[in-house]
Amino acid sequence: MSVFYEKFKEVLFSVLPITIIVLILNFTLTPLELPLLIRFLIGVIFIVFGLTIFLVGVDLGITPIGNHMGGTLAKTNRIWIVAVVGLILGFFVSVAEPDLHILAAQVDAVSSGLISKGSIVVVVSIGISVLLAIGLGRIVYNFPLYRILTIIYFIIFVLACFTSREFLAISFDASGATTGALTVPFILSLAIGVSKLKKDSKASEKDSFGLVAIASTGAILAVMLMSILSKTDKITGSLETAETSDTITTAFVHEFIKIGPEIVIALLPILILFIIFQRISFKLSKREVSRIIFGILLTLIGLVIFLVGVNAGFMDVGSVVGFKIASNSNKLYVIIVGFILGVVTILAEPAVYVLTHQIEEVTSGYVKRSVVMLTLTIGVGIAVALSVIRILIPELQLWQYLLPGYLISIALSYVVPKLFVGIAFDSGGVASGPMTATFILAYTQGAAEAVEGANVLIDGFGVIAMVAMTPLIALQLLGLIFKLNSKKGGLESNGK
Amino acid sequence: MENKSGTTGIDLICIIVNFGMGSKVLKTAKSLGIHGGTLTLAKGTANHRIWDYLGLSDIRKEVLYMVAGRETAYRALDRLDEEYKFHKPNHGIAFTTSVYETVGTSGCKSEAMNSERGEDEMMYQVITIIVDKGKAEDVITAAGKAGSKGGTIMNARGSGIHETSRVFAMDIEPEKEIVLILSEQDSTEAIVSAINKDIGIDSPGKGIIYIQDVNKTYGVYK
Repeated sequence: MSVFYEKFKEVLFSVLPITIIVLILNFTLTPLELPLLIRFLIGVIFIVFGLTIFLVGVDLGITPIGNHMGGTLAKTNRIWIVAVVGLILGFFVSVAEPDLHILAAQVDAVSSGLISKGSIVVVVSIGISVLLAIGLGRIVYNFPLYRILTIIYFIIFVLACFTSREFLAISFDASGATTGALTVPFILSLAIGVSKLKKDSKASEKDSFGLVAIASTGAILAVMLMSILSKTDKITGSLETAETSDTITTAFVHEFIKIGPEIVIALLPILILFIIFQRISFKLSKREVSRIIFGILLTLIGLVIFLVGVNAGFMDVGSVVGFKIASNSNKLYVIIVGFILGVVTILAEPAVYVLTHQIEEVTSGYVKRSVVMLTLTIGVGIAVALSVIRILIPELQLWQYLLPGYLISIALSYVVPKLFVGIAFDSGGVASGPMTATFILAYTQGAAEAVEGANVLIDGFGVIAMVAMTPLIALQLLGLIFKLNSKKGGLESNGK
Repeated sequence: MENKSGTTGIDLICIIVNFGMGSKVLKTAKSLGIHGGTLTLAKGTANHRIWDYLGLSDIRKEVLYMVAGRETAYRALDRLDEEYKFHKPNHGIAFTTSVYETVGTSGCKSEAMNSERGEDEMMYQVITIIVDKGKAEDVITAAGKAGSKGGTIMNARGSGIHETSRVFAMDIEPEKEIVLILSEQDSTEAIVSAINKDIGIDSPGKGIIYIQDVNKTYGVYK
């Protein structure tokens, strides 16, 4: 039981900050109506328990499956097997990702059906699977991460020149959205499974990261290509805003009915692939199999409880807080609160949790979880603050943030320790999970609604893109600090 | 019992604590005259059948290795025991074994002590088992059947003479797991043969076991 207890403690401390901040806001700047506040507090309880169960489940179920698959794949020593299995894995895992379906539905709506939901799901999944296969190939052939990222982002830059500004935002959002709470732990452990075979322990350490980053660029490329090829450059439709009239219980029941089946579907491909692999090559002992199945079950239960808590408890609070603060005369508050919310929200993001633990595990505690967390929170805080500024000042455009941001990120990747390049680019995709996608997005959209001249739709998209970008810079800077601080020949000497 | 290894007067201290405590213990140890230490991550288990079956009994641990002259080591350990309360359940365990020689650390000169090894009444031994990845749990189960109270698992990699290979552009080394088990001297034999029976360490390529005498222990329940 100690595993639950240990996780529970950690989760509690990462969910407490956001709870306290919202409560403080409630008593100062933005008084919330009582039912909403109660929903929020019930949501907190759901999130704490859900996240605890989910994380234990990931440790027992998802991570071992990914590790075994990665190892087994690499040991086949046949590139076509790695490529084919990589394609299949990437496709099915991302097709089943609930976040992708939400994004696709939004794009469907805003393009007035020109780009249908089904087609975007398939195209993005193909994009991710191709890039996942490339990413796996990179690890086994020791191709440096920073070079492949430079190439990919150069292609993205060229495509971006032909993409309208609305779709630019959507495509970058897609990269964040598709790497959700389930995909990230799985892809991470897949990469670790392959790279920990390596004899050179430094290479093994740094190549454990970066696969999530590469895979998530698949989504950017896919959406950009789609928008160019289908010649859709205008956003014509509009999004319906979610109704907020639900009572406390119906809100939770409603979300449960919606989310339950989604997560079952999302987990199915991983489970089926595991069973196939187990038959063909794993041949794990009965005990290990029963553990993994039990882990998947926990993952399922935990994730459903967590998401119900987030969607039913947090979403509306986010938009109400955003709206009320932005209606307030002092615009500085919107930015400051945005920053603080960014900081505390990211703490409760499930995939961030998994990533930081993996980092600690892989580096044997050299790169501490708390340090990565702290850097990440500051990065995301800045991202939200910048997004809010963009809402307040209509002249600012998303590309004016993204272009310099990515240029700096790529430039940094040539100088910082290579381990941190992988960690940083991975955390970009990781930071933009369900918590950000609901709470932060709701906050900025709420703010946009209250600000004259701001377009809820256009300014709403692009927030996730920002949250996915700032960690790249923040964590690479952390890497730079590590490099400067350690005088002894440590990690930083891997100059290649 | 007058073993040859006890004569040099240098001890290897091994402390197993819950995750996150390692750095603190090391810091305190340094203030007590020990010159440095090495930390690794590990996974601990203790007996608990159902939780164990479901994999819920694993706790993240840290293992701290330090080398010091015997007198310094014992003094430091006594103080560490006071501070970190190894004697209470779930506060970690510590033990020392004799080291034949050290290179690279000037700090620990031989400090021969008059007192003989084992001020403890009960003699302990540490059994180290190195097996292929995935087998560690079986080792601990086997040891448990023979009366062991738990064990610590560390991830490692390494290879015997025939094992290194190359796939694609990467040299790979098989993953291993190192299991540490503390046992009373009387039951060591039983534990080792139980592990041997279940895992078949005797046959080539299945792993190795070695046993060391322990000088002093803290935090092991009788």
